[in-house]
Amino acid sequence: MHPPGSTEIASQAITFMAALMLVLQLLMIPQRMLLATIRLFAIQSFLLAAIAAVVAYHHQASHVYVVAILTVVGKVLLLPWLLNRLVRRIEIHQEIEPLLNAPASMLLGGGLTLLGYVVARPFTSLERLGHNTLAIALTLLLTGFFLMINRRKAITQVLALLTVENGVMLAAVALTTYGMPLVVELGIFFDVLVAVMVLGILVYRIRENIASIDTSQLNQLKG
Amino acid sequence: MLLLTPILLAPLLAGCLCLAARSVRMMEALGTAAFAATLGLGIALAHQVLARGAVTEWDEFLRADALSAWMVLLISVVSLSTMLYAGRYFRRDQETGMATAGRVREFYALTPLFGAGMFLVVLSNNLGVMWAAVESTALSSVLLVALYNRRTSLEAAWKYVILGSIGLALALLGTVFVYAAACKNQPDSIPSFNWSYMMSVAARLDPHLLKLAFVFAVVGYGTKAGLAPMHTWLPDAHSEAPSPTSAMLSGVSLKIALYALIRFHILASACLDSGFSRNLLLVFGLFSMLLAVPFILVQRNLKRMLAYSSLEHVGLICAGIAMNTPATIFGALLHMGYHALAKPVLFFASGNIHQTFHSLEFRLIGPGVAKVLPGTALLMGLAALAAIGLPPFGLFLSELTIVSGGLASGQTVATVLILAALLGSFWGILQHLSRILLGSRKQGDTTQDARPADGLPAMAMLMAALAVFSLWLPEPLLELLRQGAQLIGGKP
Repeated sequence: MHPPGSTEIASQAITFMAALMLVLQLLMIPQRMLLATIRLFAIQSFLLAAIAAVVAYHHQASHVYVVAILTVVGKVLLLPWLLNRLVRRIEIHQEIEPLLNAPASMLLGGGLTLLGYVVARPFTSLERLGHNTLAIALTLLLTGFFLMINRRKAITQVLALLTVENGVMLAAVALTTYGMPLVVELGIFFDVLVAVMVLGILVYRIRENIASIDTSQLNQLKG
Repeated sequence: MLLLTPILLAPLLAGCLCLAARSVRMMEALGTAAFAATLGLGIALAHQVLARGAVTEWDEFLRADALSAWMVLLISVVSLSTMLYAGRYFRRDQETGMATAGRVREFYALTPLFGAGMFLVVLSNNLGVMWAAVESTALSSVLLVALYNRRTSLEAAWKYVILGSIGLALALLGTVFVYAAACKNQPDSIPSFNWSYMMSVAARLDPHLLKLAFVFAVVGYGTKAGLAPMHTWLPDAHSEAPSPTSAMLSGVSLKIALYALIRFHILASACLDSGFSRNLLLVFGLFSMLLAVPFILVQRNLKRMLAYSSLEHVGLICAGIAMNTPATIFGALLHMGYHALAKPVLFFASGNIHQTFHSLEFRLIGPGVAKVLPGTALLMGLAALAAIGLPPFGLFLSELTIVSGGLASGQTVATVLILAALLGSFWGILQHLSRILLGSRKQGDTTQDARPADGLPAMAMLMAALAVFSLWLPEPLLELLRQGAQLIGGKP
């Protein structure tokens, strides 16, 4: 069905792009400019779309092309545009000093990558195309959670959540032959869009109310 | 005749129409009509499920079995009573300037959407669509939690949405793993992700993947269901939301997430022979129950205390299902229903108390609520007695069923822990509520704008239903619950 050698090429392309997604994730850890972080997320999402496109081309599966197009429209164009607008409107451009400083965070990011690879090891036989994609997906998840804890600006937390979602979608591409069924992909797509809008509304209201989007100041509810 | 589609469309339509409606009364009528319609349709659906087994529509995209039909009834009843209560509640909030007209419209538009999302969770056949629907309930309810736009309600909403999203990302990963297991079985085609199909191939799925999937589902959907230790958003969201929303969150939304988790539990126990999923559910259920007790005992805020009580009830339902005998599962399903009738009454009463005394702190409410709001105090007292499990109310019956089922099957340790937790919260709630409801007002009490009749119809309706169903359960309902319990505990 596939020409000889094409599986090898597709597999290597996916491995390469997944690795780039990981690199972008690690670059986000020390990044403090919000607009730059948004750009890193957009490029990472573009790589995810490209991986989906390779899968679609390789299997001649048209519904996976739809997934790739949705990813480009949603996560590469629309969400970064929305978040950019939000950053401009609330006029906060920079993240404050994170809980862990940059070198320590990078070190921890490396450790989490290692952990992701160890955890994914027993499941490598399940991967369809590409190598270590599941490991990278788990690493995106772990570092995404770390970013959420380590950063205090609400927008950075939203971005961290989105990278976690990228990780889950990468796992979906890595572990299944043709990705998730189209109706599920559509559901996830709209949920993520609405989630960012809802979070945006909340960020805006928090900014209006406490003149900051530093979530460590949200600490009155206890017990 | 289509049944499932109108159940989904009625609240969806009502929510959209509320955006265009002219007056608050109009929005109220729309919401009430929508949920009254779903209640009627739900009853028809229950009859049809009993007569013919699972009902499917749109090429099996929607599917309802006994469990789904039961959940449809719960969602409809709680949402309907919320709509009946909300009218007076928000009129008063608007008078005092607590909420603007825009915020009230937000409530009436989002609440039916919240309901529609919950209906989709229980009616979708596809496990991936079920995930998307759970996420949609989280997103529609978060703005409701933030409705008052206070600093604390924004904090609660932020915590709710961030923790909920993390949880749901993990649940999505669990969902992906289940689908990966199906793909592994059928490498050359696109397998269906329908519940009915997954169950038919369950025995042939990769057990390692299923185990991994279930762990992610427990943590993920468990966060949304408020299981400890992922429950930290729960007391904040329940106490900061407007009281009608608190009632919906506690009365059904927690159980909807638990429903999603139960689906994974059924699938996992059909695939894995060991009690892997059962044991995990039991641990989380018992831990939630035991953790809730100290927080109830030392609580100083009325709605936070009720939220911790919900945590305890969810833990009990989870533990009852995990003990996996026909009696305990039946008891757990029955408990879902009784709790859905009793808890909203308590939250509605707290709404009345909040609007009259302008505080939720026990200290500031003070003793003697019964002197100022006799009707509210009476119904609240009765609902509280029901909620802590006193006879003759139904929660006593369902708790007794779970406990005796646990003892009969030799799960003594778990049963004793359940009893201890029940006793602890019994004492805590009784003590707190008797202190504020009974006694006489302090000297120099300046409460002026008491409106004793507010919100009574909705509360009385729920209490009447609770009283009737405590003494008499119609045979079709019992049969529905039996069939639901059979679905969960299919294999001993």
